[in-house]
Amino acid sequence: MKNYKATVIDYGMGNIWSVTSALQYLGCEVDVSSDALIIERAQTLILPGVGSFRKAMNALISMNLEASILNSVLARKAKFLGICLGMQLMGTKSTEDGETKGLGLIPSSVDKFSSSEVADRKVPHIGFDQVHFDSDGNLFKGISGNQDFYFVHSYRMLPPDSKAGLSTCNYGIDFLAAYENDNIFATQFHPEKSQTNGLRLLDNFLKV
Amino acid sequence: MLKKRLIFTLLYSNGSFMLSRNFRLQAVGNLAWLQRNYDFSQISYSIDELVVLDVTREKRNIDKFCEVLKSLTINNFVPITAGGGVWDVDSAQKLLRSGADKILINSSLFIERYLAKELSEEYGQQCVVASIDLKRSKVGELQVLSHNGSKLHESPARELIDSVLTMEVGEIYLNSVDRDGTGQGLDFEVLELLPARVNKPVILAGGAGNSNHLLLGFKDSRVDAVATANLFNFVGDGLKKARHELVLGGIRLPMWDLGFRNSDVTSLPQNLG
Amino acid sequence: MNNIFWCNNCLAMSTRPRITFDSRGFCNACVWSETKREIDWKSRDQELQELLLKHRSREADFDCIVPVSGGKDGSYVAYTLKEKYGLKILCLTVTPPLPLPLGEKNLRSFVESGFNHISVNPDYEVMRVLNKIGFEEMGFPYYGWLLAIQSIPAIIANKFGIGLVIYGEDGEIEYGGTDETSRSPIFDSNYQKRIYLENGYDKVIRASKLTDSQLALFSFPDFGRHTHASIDLTHWSYFENWDPYRNYLVAKEHCGLQEADSANSGTFTNFSQNDQALYALHTYLMYLKYGFGRANQDASIEIRRGSMNRDQAKNLVKLYDGHYPEEFLNIYLDYYQMKKRDFDLVLDRYANKDLFEKLNGKWMPRFEIE
Repeated sequence: MKNYKATVIDYGMGNIWSVTSALQYLGCEVDVSSDALIIERAQTLILPGVGSFRKAMNALISMNLEASILNSVLARKAKFLGICLGMQLMGTKSTEDGETKGLGLIPSSVDKFSSSEVADRKVPHIGFDQVHFDSDGNLFKGISGNQDFYFVHSYRMLPPDSKAGLSTCNYGIDFLAAYENDNIFATQFHPEKSQTNGLRLLDNFLKV
Repeated sequence: MLKKRLIFTLLYSNGSFMLSRNFRLQAVGNLAWLQRNYDFSQISYSIDELVVLDVTREKRNIDKFCEVLKSLTINNFVPITAGGGVWDVDSAQKLLRSGADKILINSSLFIERYLAKELSEEYGQQCVVASIDLKRSKVGELQVLSHNGSKLHESPARELIDSVLTMEVGEIYLNSVDRDGTGQGLDFEVLELLPARVNKPVILAGGAGNSNHLLLGFKDSRVDAVATANLFNFVGDGLKKARHELVLGGIRLPMWDLGFRNSDVTSLPQNLG
Repeated sequence: MNNIFWCNNCLAMSTRPRITFDSRGFCNACVWSETKREIDWKSRDQELQELLLKHRSREADFDCIVPVSGGKDGSYVAYTLKEKYGLKILCLTVTPPLPLPLGEKNLRSFVESGFNHISVNPDYEVMRVLNKIGFEEMGFPYYGWLLAIQSIPAIIANKFGIGLVIYGEDGEIEYGGTDETSRSPIFDSNYQKRIYLENGYDKVIRASKLTDSQLALFSFPDFGRHTHASIDLTHWSYFENWDPYRNYLVAKEHCGLQEADSANSGTFTNFSQNDQALYALHTYLMYLKYGFGRANQDASIEIRRGSMNRDQAKNLVKLYDGHYPEEFLNIYLDYYQMKKRDFDLVLDRYANKDLFEKLNGKWMPRFEIE
């Protein structure tokens, strides 16, 4: 019997319901919380997110969650997964709407897909796309080479120069699709919206 | 490579799911009927996205709709777009918290144009799907309708579509009222209204009855996704078979790992639902 | 049971009376739908013009009679004849025994959209007797009404000095059956009695014990004998590609046709046969006798018009066909003045035991569509 537990961070933005649903489907006990203390103490954290980077960071800061998250992840080594905007928030900064500082857990900035990058392609990048994943890592265990994941974003992070597990997707440019470094995980795509592929990935994350 | 998407649209009205024919509604069944005959937890492996629209002609009850939305999204791990009567950010918020990933707006595009901007500022542009209903006039010219097909817009359709394309919306959902529910195939002339270069994904809907209609839709390079709302024609294993035909027909649809199923989940949670 | 099979294209069954299949296993309705695309409709139109000309010279107030019910088919024919061909038509409805509100509303809308119309109401009790006998002796719950729509248009035509009655479609050609009228547009009362009335006319009339004067509207006089001018009966489907869905769209657009809020009994459509309660019983009996009901017919029409494929149709038929019309049961019992037990006994008699078995009081199919 699996005995997973995870805390989903509720900061007022993001599709909490779907993420929670997916985790519960996998047998995980889910606690949805906006409490800084609870989050700081959690062993497994999920940061979902949809919407504006700046609004999100402001929300995290005003709810004292920025500090809790950093403590939890860096000091207590909690297992952490950022999804979509959640992943972007883990970046160094975002240039959406001026410049906003991020959590700094991933050494890459968040910028809009430029027309020179994407050429004829449409922005936002919406739909299912193939991920060239890091097969050494944990996230994509058991997933075969050409499975698709659901992306819906106008901003992207580029793969940093790092020894971390990097997975990319090509949309005119190879952008960062997933990141794995020790206890820190992130996906630009929505695993909870990627059918069985996503479920397996979430299961892998829970298993780590 | 970005794949094309097969979308199923559910039309909800006052507790029932409907079949629409040229925007006239026929009640087909309630949620229980839908779950019996479509089993979304299984067939979501056949579709890439689900759209759920509240097309109630009378006064809408968004809370009830959200309850239904929640039931639909359970164990259903596809992107979900919800809409129908969305006129403010609060309604959008309710839908997003009930399982929707994207919000579909239609009538507000032509009346309260700032809503698209508000929604995209709050949730991001990719969260907003602009839906446009089109019907031919007596002389055969395509025109834009809104408000469940009851309001006709005089401005040329091309102009209206162009203006929507400049708004902060993520995708365009073009629906043919003439073909709606007829099973006569998609209306490709609707695509002629688009400019040569479209900067947003285009979803084409209205008239698909069988997999061949869907195939023709996907083969058109202007189309990024095809949607069908034909609740009768795809009942049972209809969607699964349709997807199979599409893949055989060479359409690049998303690949799913069908090996990962319920059986891999060795414990089922008590608190589901 | 061993020998039943289905059309390889649609879902029509080999059990259907007079149906034939070609070497591909396609039923004659499907073959006809293919043939229709190759037919020289212009020459058919020519034949129509000649027929109309023949009858125009009669100097009657009207060129023809068009039987209608307010539903999509008659409305389409009437509308087309009036608008496209400029004919002076007289529409005629034989009021069904248990009319439905939506049917009455649609008929009203049709008439109000601009047609000369006669509503004929044969003696209610006489028709009831004939219907009941038809139900019990032949498994045709509205035999009397079926009879009336065959006999009355010609009778009225004769009274008005009109020589032509234009019905909608010949179901035998369009949905499966004999193709006698495929080569000649004119049919007569012999055909009506043989085919539409399933050779039961004499039997039912005799069993009714009704007098000649009571049966005046239910008879087939030989008009030629009295007036030296015969009444020609014809089907519109001979002269133009018959398309039920097109009829629906036109009737909706021009004659005020409204659909039911939800699917009709025993099928998934809501835009067809909304005029009388006995139709649901008629199609249920058809299901028990032959294995196919209303959903099967509707789905086969959908296949032929290309809106769905056979697998999709199968799913729908599995879901909707063969519905015991319990929602109308009390109305039927009251009409026939029968108790449920006896009513069910009649149904039992007509259930094809090779095709069905009774489980828990319900007739369940032994077969699965292949």
